[in-house]
Amino acid sequence: MPVLEPSQVLGNPLKDRKILLVDDDRLNLRILAGILKPEGVKVAATHSGESAIEEYSRFHPDLVLLDVLMPGIDGLETCRRLKQIHGEACAPIIFITAKHESEDIVEGLEAGGVDYLSKPFRPKEALARIRIHLQNKVLLEEQGKLVDQLSRANAAKNRFLGMAAHDLRNPLVSIRGLTEFLSDGTVGQLTPDQLDLVSNIHDASQLMLTLVNELLDLAVIESGRPHLHPQPTSLEDLITTAVNLANMQSAKKGTTIRFTNGTTLPKIAIDADKVRQVIDNLLSNAVKFSPPQSTVSVGLEPEDGQVSVWVRDQGPGIPPEEHGKLFQDFGRTSVQPTGGEKSTGLGLAICKKLIEAHSGTISAANGPDGGCTFRFSLPLTP
Amino acid sequence: MTFAGKILLVDDEAHIRKFVGLILKKIGTPTVLEAADGQAALAVYAQEKPDLVLLDVNMPILDGLQTLERLHQIAPEANVVMLTSLANRQTVEDCVRLGALAYIRKDTPRDELSTQLQQIIQEIFEPDAAAAPDNPAP
Repeated sequence: MPVLEPSQVLGNPLKDRKILLVDDDRLNLRILAGILKPEGVKVAATHSGESAIEEYSRFHPDLVLLDVLMPGIDGLETCRRLKQIHGEACAPIIFITAKHESEDIVEGLEAGGVDYLSKPFRPKEALARIRIHLQNKVLLEEQGKLVDQLSRANAAKNRFLGMAAHDLRNPLVSIRGLTEFLSDGTVGQLTPDQLDLVSNIHDASQLMLTLVNELLDLAVIESGRPHLHPQPTSLEDLITTAVNLANMQSAKKGTTIRFTNGTTLPKIAIDADKVRQVIDNLLSNAVKFSPPQSTVSVGLEPEDGQVSVWVRDQGPGIPPEEHGKLFQDFGRTSVQPTGGEKSTGLGLAICKKLIEAHSGTISAANGPDGGCTFRFSLPLTP
Repeated sequence: MTFAGKILLVDDEAHIRKFVGLILKKIGTPTVLEAADGQAALAVYAQEKPDLVLLDVNMPILDGLQTLERLHQIAPEANVVMLTSLANRQTVEDCVRLGALAYIRKDTPRDELSTQLQQIIQEIFEPDAAAAPDNPAP
């Protein structure tokens, strides 16, 4: 879809534009028409507020020149009614006032007029003012169209991203899974060199899968589709499962994840898959940024109508000046993984969006003795 | 219901059949049959009467939903578990409405996938053993 060039927008703004003239004084109407018609303006004229409102709907003007003092409803009331009927789409309205009627001018601008012209008219001034407001109107319309085009393009990008990521997923799942079968001896023992190669393939496919999943998540979140399916869920069970599985992974690094839970909480209505995703992400980050042989602590505690889950690592903490980056898309900080792990820079941004979709909050704070604690809180009742 | 150890794995992607097939072997499934599309799956089912069908959702010719519907027309007793790549709730709900017993996501890490499959087999064929004390069978 071609995007309009500015030159198309800023040509002669008067030619073929439609202006509605409203004045009970026929001489004024003739004078205004005499100024405008030579510029190529299409003019319609009416003599009262009531007839102007009718004529507006028939003529669809690009601009209205409106006398303030008229029998019947005056110009101010006519302006208010036009704004009420046509809302945002209403053409700009310029008031016609006798000289020095400053009260009228102020009231007119408050009623929604964009400008005023004083009688007697100075043709050049009148044309200059009308031109500016027509130009503004065109620019506003073009801006609206551009915003429209951009949001459509963005939606198309998200759809494309979603589809591409989706189709990449299955092959990656197989590559990752099949290398696991190669390295665990299911189909015979490998030599150390072969194992090393297979392990590289595995890690690369894992990283790609994570990236693809995160891009897909982001595309789904950004496309604004409602994506939460809350079910009564035991957070305790959810954390226990996540910790057990993460412990299998972290054992490679000698790191232990400990979940201590002092309380029993009722089930809460959350989208278990999404919250699990957040927990998995925080656990994998904690292992990733803690030195080998660390202990990662996980806790669950109720507070004030909410429940908080926290994950504390033994890493170096987040430099205070980089805190702002943490939850942004691709917002990688200078802190490096300690075991050569990779990060996409999308994980925490997605966590934040998922937690906020649950009306919850997520934050990070460095501990007094080092390490960083990530905490998210969810309302007990949605 | 006893588990005779025959599972039909239906997926149009050969690498997924290889991967899930290896998991099924690893958890001790004696016979893993394969089909690459819904139509082939119906034919294999009619001939082999497997204990369990693992059925992909997105497939050419007959997709998972259509296959499930036709399978249950010819064999209402068939045990079907859906294999999905994306937890598409609407599709999963449709599958459950059409009689699928469960669904599993293919992108689940291998060891967890393996546990899930074991649990599902246990729940279908040995429901008494699978019922935990705090989760009594209805």
